[in-house]
Amino acid sequence: MWDAFGFEFVNFYLIPGLVLGCIYALGAIGITLTFGILRFANFAHGEVMMSGAYIAWTIMALVGAAGIALHPLVALPFAAIFVIGLFLLCDRWFYKPFRKADTIKIVIASFGVMLIIRSAVQALWGPNQITFVPGIARPNAWLQSVTGDAGMMILMPNKHLWIFAGTILLVVALSYLLNRTRTGKAMRAVSDSPDLAHVTGINVETVIKATWIVGGICATAAGVFLVMDTQTLETTMGFRMLLPMFAAAILGGIGKPYGAVFGGLVIGLAEELSAYPWIGDTPLLSPGYKTGVAFAIMVVMLIVRPQGLFKGRSF
Amino acid sequence: MKKTLLATAATFMATSAMADVNIGNPMAMTGPIPDLNAPIAAAVDLAAQNVNDQGGMFADGETLNIVRADSACDPTAAVDAVTKLINVNSVSAIVGPVCSGATIAQAESVSIPAGVVTLSVSASSPAITNMEDGTDLVFRAAASDAYQGVALAELALANGFDEIAVSYANDDYNAAIAEVFVQAYTDLGGTVTANEAHEPNKASYRSEVATIGATSDNLALFSYYGSGGITLMRNALETGAFTNFIGADGMLSDELIEQIGAENLMTSTFTTSASDDSTPSFAAWKAIADEAGVPASDPFVANGYDATFMMALAIEAAGSDDRAVIAESLRAIATAPGEVILPGEWAKAKEILAAGGEINYEGAAGNQDFDENGDVAGNFSKSTIVDGAWAAELIQ
Amino acid sequence: MEAYLGYFLYLLSLLTVGGIYAIFALGLNVQWGFAGLFNAGIVGFVAVGAYVYALLTTAESTFHIGGFGLPLPVGMAIAMAMAALIAGLIGLVCIRLRSDYLAIATIGIAEIIKLIFKNETDITNGPRGINKIPRAWEHFSEERFYSSAPMSWIATPEQWVAFFDSLPNWYWQPLFAGTILLVVFIIYKMLERARTSPWGRMMTAIRENEPASRAAGKDVTKRRIEAFVIGAAIMGLGGALFAQHLRLIEPTNTFDPSKVTFLVWVMLIAGGSGNNRGAILGAFLIWTIWSASELLIAGMIDVISAVFSTLDPSILATRAGFLRMMLIGILMQVILQRYPGGILPEVRPASPKAEKTVAGATGETK
Repeated sequence: MWDAFGFEFVNFYLIPGLVLGCIYALGAIGITLTFGILRFANFAHGEVMMSGAYIAWTIMALVGAAGIALHPLVALPFAAIFVIGLFLLCDRWFYKPFRKADTIKIVIASFGVMLIIRSAVQALWGPNQITFVPGIARPNAWLQSVTGDAGMMILMPNKHLWIFAGTILLVVALSYLLNRTRTGKAMRAVSDSPDLAHVTGINVETVIKATWIVGGICATAAGVFLVMDTQTLETTMGFRMLLPMFAAAILGGIGKPYGAVFGGLVIGLAEELSAYPWIGDTPLLSPGYKTGVAFAIMVVMLIVRPQGLFKGRSF
Repeated sequence: MKKTLLATAATFMATSAMADVNIGNPMAMTGPIPDLNAPIAAAVDLAAQNVNDQGGMFADGETLNIVRADSACDPTAAVDAVTKLINVNSVSAIVGPVCSGATIAQAESVSIPAGVVTLSVSASSPAITNMEDGTDLVFRAAASDAYQGVALAELALANGFDEIAVSYANDDYNAAIAEVFVQAYTDLGGTVTANEAHEPNKASYRSEVATIGATSDNLALFSYYGSGGITLMRNALETGAFTNFIGADGMLSDELIEQIGAENLMTSTFTTSASDDSTPSFAAWKAIADEAGVPASDPFVANGYDATFMMALAIEAAGSDDRAVIAESLRAIATAPGEVILPGEWAKAKEILAAGGEINYEGAAGNQDFDENGDVAGNFSKSTIVDGAWAAELIQ
Repeated sequence: MEAYLGYFLYLLSLLTVGGIYAIFALGLNVQWGFAGLFNAGIVGFVAVGAYVYALLTTAESTFHIGGFGLPLPVGMAIAMAMAALIAGLIGLVCIRLRSDYLAIATIGIAEIIKLIFKNETDITNGPRGINKIPRAWEHFSEERFYSSAPMSWIATPEQWVAFFDSLPNWYWQPLFAGTILLVVFIIYKMLERARTSPWGRMMTAIRENEPASRAAGKDVTKRRIEAFVIGAAIMGLGGALFAQHLRLIEPTNTFDPSKVTFLVWVMLIAGGSGNNRGAILGAFLIWTIWSASELLIAGMIDVISAVFSTLDPSILATRAGFLRMMLIGILMQVILQRYPGGILPEVRPASPKAEKTVAGATGETK
């Protein structure tokens, strides 16, 4: 019989939920900023995330061919540059023409961008899975022994420690940007009230560019963290993450980056915890319904409190 | 607009010459399992290439064309693709599609009403057995789950697992085989401690693994390696929830070794419909596949080769690519009596047929003798890791 | 000669599937074009219609609940009613959400509906789906139909078998395609009447200026729910026809949002939202491009590999499917930017007064 170490809830439900939550959170930041500032639900966000992970892998493979093993976190900034470029190009070609038009147009356009990016990645890298990092990740031995001595053995592989550290770093940097810099303040102003922001002389186009840049960095990080965790690259992974990320953004309140982080963690935890045997020893909810948990939370939230937990904008 | 398009399409299609033999091959090129599909498509092409290299079709050496279309593992796309193959490309028969759902939909909606034979590469759903309503138009080169699930249950007990937890991906293939396995395993006296579906393609399965991992050390895993199977296995190994793994052919791929590492898979056993290296037919197939760089033991790759090769033999034996005569001919070339033909032996078969003799194709994935429902029974082998690679051994 | 028959049958299949998509697009047009409701969960209503129809009309089966063997029109009517009922329930709680929010909520609900069909295996046979769904006209040649009333009143089973044997095996195709086109026509006529009626003008008013219509004493919420329910009922009917066309439905791949919801949106936006003829034109046009592009790309690969003989055509062929998706994506961007109102833009119904002065101008499109 499997030894649960008496601490199975934390190790096998809570920590995995938080890891997934971090990834959702980073993706949701980009979605919530775009939604708040450009006022549309960007369906291409997941695909941009996915392409970021592919670029990071390619950089690692190219450098690896020269004999240097690159850590994914080192490849991340370079991939982010590419993703920002991709976002800005998409904006110029596909989103800008619809700035003043109906929301539906730009949403459909983003759906089209999603198709174009995904099929481009599939045509370039092929549809087959690609191994990101081979092997399996054992728990960090030092952490295991230290916490084990304290009677609360925590089992966490290094990749999860990196994901937590990276997410915390990015969220701190983001909060500095939004609270302490001029651009960040302008972004918040546009998100809260575009007309008022325009009147006070804020250059909306610059703010939009800044939004894509911030969203691009977070999306790349989310994509790279996701493949660090699953260790596999696939072309459909972006779309699969998209709806939970929307759910996270809505849960936190549209236009509220901290809300998105919180929402991401809640959705990630809810998905993993739904399979915990809360009552008796069978899963609370059949794991077949796991995907539905995020959607159910999202729909209930929209109906009960559409402005989100953090008082985002509601239409 | 419509007319111009059609006319242009017609002109393009004319480039594939009409005098040749055309076989339609709807495959899941896009959709949920393109990675599983790619080597199967390569095996189909390889079979056609073998035929064309060894004298082609009929006395005057006509070319065997594989007309590929995208069924996307999706009934809508499969119906549309096969409609085009049958009506526009005028193919003689259909080899493929890959998924059971797509196969049933295209057969019931298009190919059976049109009287065209379908020889499926990998559709393993038990529902296919009884779907033809008195016609004899649907065959398959892969054994029904009803066989493999039982073989796997016997193997699990033979390995000494008298209790087991089951986790299956909630898709048509894996749900079906898991059901057969659970039934057979309990009938044979085993105890199923947990039986849960998992949603394919999730980023993490740690909670599922932990929940069912509390019940047993042994896991029967039914999943495609490409749509969550590897992730689930990795999560199970990382958390240490299970020690022994057993599963069906959806998981058997070199990709698994590459991603998880052979040293972590020492306690894993997967069955596959392919025979082991000791049978002459599998050895013949392995030689051909290795030379062409096709992964010989990946899921359904051998079946893809068999299906195409048998379809070519059937058309050759019938002496014409007329749709109506293929079904009967397909039975004749696949079953005894007759000279045994191994994978790749096109020239030999052609010679015997030309002399009026009978042949019996023994396929790479089994003996391929069709029963009255057009199903084949499978030989199964178990694959374990030996020296860092999968090694197969016959179990039935 | 046989080749021409093949093209004719392919044309019929284009009309069949195009017609089914036209029904979806007309349903969406009621919701979006008339009432401005951003429903991104089309696939949910289609799935409800298809499953209800399949369960009610198939012969008894051990795989799923029932197989009630009801007559086809009854199955279609109940499919419509169930889709409408579910839309009504969703409408009651969700209709006050605006644009994107309604879209995201409906996507979520559609996914939950699909998950229920997938996981409640005892009722729906789960991911393996329901097959042997009877198709209009073709089903007459099934034994359980010709050996029972009312067909058995006309002739004996043996006579029926002889009769169906004497027909070409594609006899049902023109009839089935014709039936679908007839359904499209009837829905079109009804929606045109609705559009030019006071109800339709009120819908436009609510869509364009909600506070003003509210101030004028209109029950905005009720009208919105009406439009949502009518649209969903049409989609449910389309779903029943979709199930007949496919003859097998399963929850995962048949009801893939990117191939149902998204494709229908492209059709409506390309054809012209708010314009029923636009919706129909968009559906036929986009489906034809979608379907025929495979033949085109296959042909192009033949040409390319003939010209560049060193190129390995198998790599091109493996990836052709993706190029096709990319083509659709780009085509859509072009249509969106070039034809902002769609190919046939919306024409406002003239008020009854204006109609008298410009006789026959109603619904005329340029």
